[in-house]
Amino acid sequence: MSNKPKKSAAVIKEQRAAYIFLIPAFLGLSLITYIPLLAAFGIGFTDLKVGHFMPNTPLAPPRFVGLDNFVNIFKNPSINFQNSIWVTVYFALFAVVSSVIYSLFIAMLLNRKMPGRGFFRSIFYIPYILPAAAVIISWHFLLIYDGGVINHVLVQLGFERSFFLDSKSTVIPTLVLIAVWQCGNLIVIFLAGLQNVPRVYQEAAEIDGASAWRRFWTITIPCMTPIIFYNVLMSLVANLQIVVPALARTRGGPGKATMFMTYMMYQEGFRGGQLGTASAIAAVFFIIAAILAFILFKTSKSWIFYEGGEQK
Amino acid sequence: MKRILAIVLSAVMILAVLAACGNDSASPSGSGATATPAGNNNTAGDSTSSGGGERIEIVFSIWGDPAEQETTQKGLDVYNSMQDKVYVKALQIPNEEYADVLQTMATAGNMPDCGMVNEPTAIGWARQGLLMPIDIYEGQADKPLDYLAFKDGGKTVAYSGANEVLGLWYNRTMFDAAGVDYPPTSLDKAWTWDEFIEVAKQLTFDSNGNTPNDDGFDKNNIVQYGAYVNQWTWQLEVWALSNGGKWFSEDGKSIVFDDAAIEAMQKVVDLHLVHNVAPFNPGTTDSGFGDSVGAGNVAMCTEGQWATGFAGDTDIDYGVAVLPYMKRKANIVTGGPVGVFAGTKYPDEVADFVRWYTDEDNNFGTIEAGWWMPTKMNWYTDEALLKKWIDDVPLRARLPADAYRTAMKDVALDLTVSQSTGWYYTPNTFEIINRVLNPAMVEAINGSKTVAQVIADVRPAMEAALAG
Repeated sequence: MSNKPKKSAAVIKEQRAAYIFLIPAFLGLSLITYIPLLAAFGIGFTDLKVGHFMPNTPLAPPRFVGLDNFVNIFKNPSINFQNSIWVTVYFALFAVVSSVIYSLFIAMLLNRKMPGRGFFRSIFYIPYILPAAAVIISWHFLLIYDGGVINHVLVQLGFERSFFLDSKSTVIPTLVLIAVWQCGNLIVIFLAGLQNVPRVYQEAAEIDGASAWRRFWTITIPCMTPIIFYNVLMSLVANLQIVVPALARTRGGPGKATMFMTYMMYQEGFRGGQLGTASAIAAVFFIIAAILAFILFKTSKSWIFYEGGEQK
Repeated sequence: MKRILAIVLSAVMILAVLAACGNDSASPSGSGATATPAGNNNTAGDSTSSGGGERIEIVFSIWGDPAEQETTQKGLDVYNSMQDKVYVKALQIPNEEYADVLQTMATAGNMPDCGMVNEPTAIGWARQGLLMPIDIYEGQADKPLDYLAFKDGGKTVAYSGANEVLGLWYNRTMFDAAGVDYPPTSLDKAWTWDEFIEVAKQLTFDSNGNTPNDDGFDKNNIVQYGAYVNQWTWQLEVWALSNGGKWFSEDGKSIVFDDAAIEAMQKVVDLHLVHNVAPFNPGTTDSGFGDSVGAGNVAMCTEGQWATGFAGDTDIDYGVAVLPYMKRKANIVTGGPVGVFAGTKYPDEVADFVRWYTDEDNNFGTIEAGWWMPTKMNWYTDEALLKKWIDDVPLRARLPADAYRTAMKDVALDLTVSQSTGWYYTPNTFEIINRVLNPAMVEAINGSKTVAQVIADVRPAMEAALAG
């Protein structure tokens, strides 16, 4: 016998209205996100090509190929997906760590009372809202080996020129630098978080004679860990999806140094018309992103401090 | 009352979502485009009665910058006003997104009726059934030059809508200032590669006015370069041919990249690495003329005939000459094909339109603007026509016209020199050239590997890409 309390008519009515209002959003999400997501997984097991959608196609009908696409993306040297996984994860982790450290540092500076604070907050946020392709092309002109301003300055200072985006060893660090420059959204979120760090803790520690560094490590950082977690997660997801620098400038090179997962997926799907292979890439990409996010969530329990006690 | 309002609002939102996801199934062309053409009362998907018959609408997709698209639209306006059976609507797509947009439309089974096609994807599209393999010039004497036919297994799948050969473009002011003779404009006087390097050295200056031939030349402070050989990868094929090598077998079934081809590509990258006469040029963007002679910091560059059209946008005084050569005089031709897309309901009308559109008299605007050369033989042999598209066109007359005739027109006509680029007869050249070779070559261009090492590294990938 259930001992759940019976819902009142008013609660039932309210729930029904809530469901009705949820239907459009649910339908939209289903049609635009979840069904295509499931379809992409399914297509990954077929040899579907763009041509299959055309009338009178000379192609044989699409067929179920099992795991062939998943094997092919790792075995076919023109795809070499293990390289794509490596360069994407390398870039994403490098960019996440750098962006989070940099944005926390800048947020702490911008959180201080100083003249022109609003102006500087805007300055650091603006790169985030610039169009990504325009940003990479602008950096290209700054960084190009011959005629780039930055190399010109390096030569004037007596240093060797760098290839930046055109060398295997420097392209990822350079792209990380650009990603860090663009992380104005993280700064804004850190700023909001810093304003919620209880002042009483800081004051108590100050009275006890704690140094600024100690206050930072023992008060600011622990209080900020939920915000750090959020920023790390968002930054990780965004950086795993990197594609614009490859599309607009590096074309996957030098060598295969920027043949990112999403770029390879785009190449196979939108340029090669190989929808089965592209969907297999998308599925593997999804799994890798999910694993990294899972690891982050799992480890978070050991380092996130929730002021009101452990998060359930 | 509130419940009714909630239900009505929900229904409206659901319908809006479904309508947005729906297909424009009423479109006769299946294009899904919805703009109402100016001067015409049709909306896409409608056929109107005109002169006793239904006027059908066909959609023609094009790329190009706004000026090029405006010129194309003028041509379509003429076609639409000269007859009342077919209305052609332009679907204008930015060049860099062109193949993506069309493939996405194909995925929805909704391609335009006809349109331009990116050269490296042409044969692959025909094999997948996106392009209808119909020869719109079958049985006609007046058809494009043979080398402009895209062939798969000997069967023509599309023709280029324009012809383009490569040339050597040079800044007259820089040559005059250095006291160097202009480059040769006819094949019989073409420079050898070594002569080309020697002249490039005379035109390269550091900030102290020294050339690479002078003691004390500072390669880190070069203010003017002598040469820029376009390394946007497909253009490198011409040097392989010039050195007696090949990229692909003649039947398009295998990757060659022989020693002569590799040696030629190394000679090109050595212009920067060894001779210091060319700027670093990673070859990852398609902006050869604009980054060199057009930017005013390089005396000579190699680029397609379309560089003629840049004269309208720059004050730089430039001329055209023939390419230098390594072992034999060579050139490669190209030109975006205009194809009939599978799925059109009106193949005959579309073929008629494509024939009309690719006729030089009807797309003369793009020829006059300097972007295109004619495709048909009579435009290269009939003196009245030659005068019309060379001597009487100001952009060519300033090169001057007689130099253009020998450096471009004669080269295009000389079949011992000019031949189809690999993508006219090799499948999957987008994957081979753009995806595999282009990023790999950056390592040879920056000197971290030799071209031989790069080709050895990517040969298996190129072979896999060719196999598809």
